[in-house]
Amino acid sequence: MTKSTASITTTTKKDPSQFGQAIRNNLQTYALVLAMIAIWILFYFQTDGIYLSPQNFSNLFRQMTITAIMSVGMVLVIVAGHIDLSVGKLAGYVSVIVAYFQAYFWADHLPDAPALLTTALSVLVGLLVGTLYGVVQGWIIAYLRVPSFITTLGSMWILNGLILIATVGKTIPANQPLFSIIAQDYIPKTTGWIIAGIVAVVLFVSMFMGRQRKHKYGITLAPMWQDLLKTTLMAGFVFGYVYYVNVYRGIQNPVMILIIIVVIFSYIANNTRLGRYTYAIGGNREAARLSGINIRGNTFTIFVLMGFLCGVSGVVMASYVGYGTIAAGGGYELFAIAACILGGTSTLGGVGTIFGAMIGSLIITSLTNGLQIMNVPSAWQYVISGAVLVFAVAADMAMKKTK
Amino acid sequence: MEKDVILEFNNVTKKFPGITALDNITFSIRRGEIHGICGENGAGKSTLMKILAGVYPWGTYDGQILHNGQDLKLRSIHQAVGEGIAIVYQELTLVPSITVGENIYLGKEPVKAGIINWDKLYADSQDVLEKYHLDVKARSLVRHLGVGKMQMTEIAKALSENAKVLILDEPTSALSEAETDQLMEILRGLKKHGVTCIYISHKLEEFFKITDSITVLRDGKMIITEPTKGLSVEALVKHMVGREMKERFPKGNRKPGEVILEVEDLHAQNPLDSNDEIIRGVSFNLRRGEILGIAGLMGSGRTELVMTLFGEYGKITQGKIKMEGREIKIKSSNQAMLYGISMVPEDRKLHGLVAIQSILRNISLANLGRFSSWFRINDSAELKESTYYAKSISIKAPNLHAMAESLSGGNQQKVVIAKWLMSQPKVLIMDDPTRGIDVGTKYEIYKIMNDLAEKGIAIIMISSDLQEVLGMSDRIMVMCENQSVRTLNRSEATQEKIMALATGTESQPVLER
Repeated sequence: MTKSTASITTTTKKDPSQFGQAIRNNLQTYALVLAMIAIWILFYFQTDGIYLSPQNFSNLFRQMTITAIMSVGMVLVIVAGHIDLSVGKLAGYVSVIVAYFQAYFWADHLPDAPALLTTALSVLVGLLVGTLYGVVQGWIIAYLRVPSFITTLGSMWILNGLILIATVGKTIPANQPLFSIIAQDYIPKTTGWIIAGIVAVVLFVSMFMGRQRKHKYGITLAPMWQDLLKTTLMAGFVFGYVYYVNVYRGIQNPVMILIIIVVIFSYIANNTRLGRYTYAIGGNREAARLSGINIRGNTFTIFVLMGFLCGVSGVVMASYVGYGTIAAGGGYELFAIAACILGGTSTLGGVGTIFGAMIGSLIITSLTNGLQIMNVPSAWQYVISGAVLVFAVAADMAMKKTK
Repeated sequence: MEKDVILEFNNVTKKFPGITALDNITFSIRRGEIHGICGENGAGKSTLMKILAGVYPWGTYDGQILHNGQDLKLRSIHQAVGEGIAIVYQELTLVPSITVGENIYLGKEPVKAGIINWDKLYADSQDVLEKYHLDVKARSLVRHLGVGKMQMTEIAKALSENAKVLILDEPTSALSEAETDQLMEILRGLKKHGVTCIYISHKLEEFFKITDSITVLRDGKMIITEPTKGLSVEALVKHMVGREMKERFPKGNRKPGEVILEVEDLHAQNPLDSNDEIIRGVSFNLRRGEILGIAGLMGSGRTELVMTLFGEYGKITQGKIKMEGREIKIKSSNQAMLYGISMVPEDRKLHGLVAIQSILRNISLANLGRFSSWFRINDSAELKESTYYAKSISIKAPNLHAMAESLSGGNQQKVVIAKWLMSQPKVLIMDDPTRGIDVGTKYEIYKIMNDLAEKGIAIIMISSDLQEVLGMSDRIMVMCENQSVRTLNRSEATQEKIMALATGTESQPVLER
């Protein structure tokens, strides 16, 4: 045993394979980012530069938020080997309920309460409704073992019905000034800069702390310049983004909400047991089970989180659209799923990243937005978006085959 | 003599990168005989048969195969079938949800104007079944058949294509004894119809019941081809293992300590079917620092037993499990791990490994609790510990971030072992730990096992390879029909004795037919 034929190296400087490995593992993500940039450049020239103007660039990110928030949870759902077809209608139901509370309920029951309180309560109600629905749905899928496809398909219809019941077929206004701030307003420019500064500091501090921790455990560190370069680049992107959107009116509130969610859920996916177990369950359910993982509990939690995110998405939807309608959220589930698939999430489970899904979401939005500016009829927008989705996955398959 | 020969292998050599699987194989098979081919795992039996069945096409190997005196140049399995050579694989390849007849004619359904002629399909398949005395109904659903009848369906499928040479790759590995006898009867019937059978098996006794001549392969080389009459089990074993037998298993230097695990008269049933009793009385004890081998045929309840001990399968209806003197109830793998019981499962692809994840994540998977709070995994600690275990059993990989699926079978198995070592078990169950692994890595795994036992870990090892059981175990518990029959000491155990116990031929006289 001591006669070392082993060639396990943790992270030696001389061994380039570690770095190469990281590149290879993320090849798909890089290809996606490049595809997105290519799409931007294409539209930039097709629209005489309007497309990448600060105003449109800002709008691009806001347009994607509602479905992108769903995609964040959808990645975990699909990675775990499930699917959720109910997200669009659940968010729609939440938006309708929130609109109802905003328009009628508080006026009837708390007529003297300050707007700030009722708005906050509306948001809370929205998040609660989404989460509770997630609890019920997660329980049915995880503990009653009804396949997620069936459960969520049923939910889609149920929620559609609930929306009709709640609205009585009418549109409910949700355009109260304070409530509109959530999805329509901007973060003050100075605050934007301060946030960027804080993010940069956090990035550097956590980089140094990470190095220190690795050192403590005797793990060979990547060269300092590599980490510095990486962190500086990331900080650069943050400042660049804030600069560009500040040329227009600043970071939009919903985009800020999305970013916070992405950060939290990426952390959950990578650095907690819940996340790790989810990937393991999707990768090999039996191996995960025999490794002592509580599969049911894990599945349940994921659907609860998905429900919560639908709550967030529904609140943003109500505030952005300004009213709750019977059509709210219809078809959004497919955008959310498509974004995940485009972003490299495997329908077979076990593989996928939230970052990838965000790029996927951005690509879909970039396409629709660009085609709109070019005045392409909406019929053709559908044709093109669909073709791009299928083509992207086909290209990915071809790439995997040649590997 | 020449006329009698149906197949002739001349200097057949097959090389894989880094390994010569077949080395100048030369022998011939006579028309209408049942020809046994035996050898250890990795001796080259399967490779040879795959060449004969067209899986490895002509040109990918050297040498020549004469079929009825003609040079056989197969390009595909399809062509082999056309030549009348068919193979019945070890793993059954039937579609369970359709009928026997449909399976027999799958892919070659009789059609008229593009419409399947069902009457003809069922009439023809029933004819084939009856002609060879296969006791299966063409209209039965395969799902409802037992393993033995499935095997018959496979054979009928091969025969429906007018196979003149039928290759049977370990056909009895999953059959009960009665079913085996039935199969033997069928093969004798085929012989009367002039079908030549090539019979591969690990159960040596079967060769003497059924074959006319036997070819022994060892490490890709042809050792002998002789009429069965002149051979004995002992001679066969000697030819199979050669002189290397002693070197195959590293010598351990261990002293078993006090009893750590006791199982008393354990009974358990299938959790999904209370009529299915999967364990019908198993008792044994296990000491610290000891390797207890569990021998038994496939289907004897070996895997069901350890899965039940690991809390993941059987519902215990009777009996006790005591760990360090205390009675314990294990309801899940998680709980088993808390008691210090870990298990390297039988099928590493299905149950052991998350193939699409890195080595690191596979090793740490069962042990994440140790370096994480509820909101954070300490990835540095994870990497450090995983590296320690990966190094301790010499996993060969560029680094721990490599995908598990990129490793060789042996190294994949080591990853699974590393995962379970990290859980620091007191009792380590290893279900067929060297299945499908090359000889060199097998030796390394044996050394790891000896090492662990010397450190005081109690190991339960299931194996289908009798020599492995004999070579590695301190004691051997033999199982037959979901019961523990007897536990033998290493000194008193022989292959024959184990086989007799495992097949139930020792305790009961063979029934007259």
